[in-house]
Amino acid sequence: MRMYEGLFLIDNARANMEWDNVVKEIHNILQKNGSEILKTEKWGEKKLAYKIEGHKRGTYLLIHFNTKNTAIAMIKRDFQLSDYIIRSLIVKDDKIEDLTQLATGETVVEKTAAKIPEIEDVDLLAEAVESVNIVEKA
Amino acid sequence: MSRKMFNKTSKCRFCRMGVQEVDYKDTQYLPKLTTAQGKLFSRKRSGNCARHQHSVKNSIKRARFMALLPYVA
Repeated sequence: MRMYEGLFLIDNARANMEWDNVVKEIHNILQKNGSEILKTEKWGEKKLAYKIEGHKRGTYLLIHFNTKNTAIAMIKRDFQLSDYIIRSLIVKDDKIEDLTQLATGETVVEKTAAKIPEIEDVDLLAEAVESVNIVEKA
Repeated sequence: MSRKMFNKTSKCRFCRMGVQEVDYKDTQYLPKLTTAQGKLFSRKRSGNCARHQHSVKNSIKRARFMALLPYVA
């Protein structure tokens, strides 16, 4: 068994109508292939960075689950066949940090965002740009 | 003088912050590692070490696939 993390992009037309059923169906696909669901998180509706099959907006769903590595191929195939899932991405997630996060209920996004101080990096980037410019001028 | 400054700040930012892997879901931070067009910054430009530059590359490509970041802006 291994821990995975799946991010699903779901058609808004279906997500707004019957969100609970969508989540249930995705859980069913995972459980049918012998996986154990650890955590489900709705990201909410977002504007897509580019159009996908005519869709401009979509709803994201993040699921952490345990499964055998042999089941992943079947799971991916099932998600590709379903018509309301526009995109899906399944990534290995073996980091111990994340396991502790699951226990505390803190989301991954929040944690990394908190770790990285934003202002400092803007300054750094600006500095880097300046120094690059100076070097180029010289 | 400018070259000295560049060398001082060229240490990898993720090493400094103690980040293990860059997360593809971090949509607030990832755009800062790309140009306005959405292209990846070079290793020299971003100052990242080999390991973290690799991690940045992978996470940006994953974010692009999930339409969190643009391929071309």
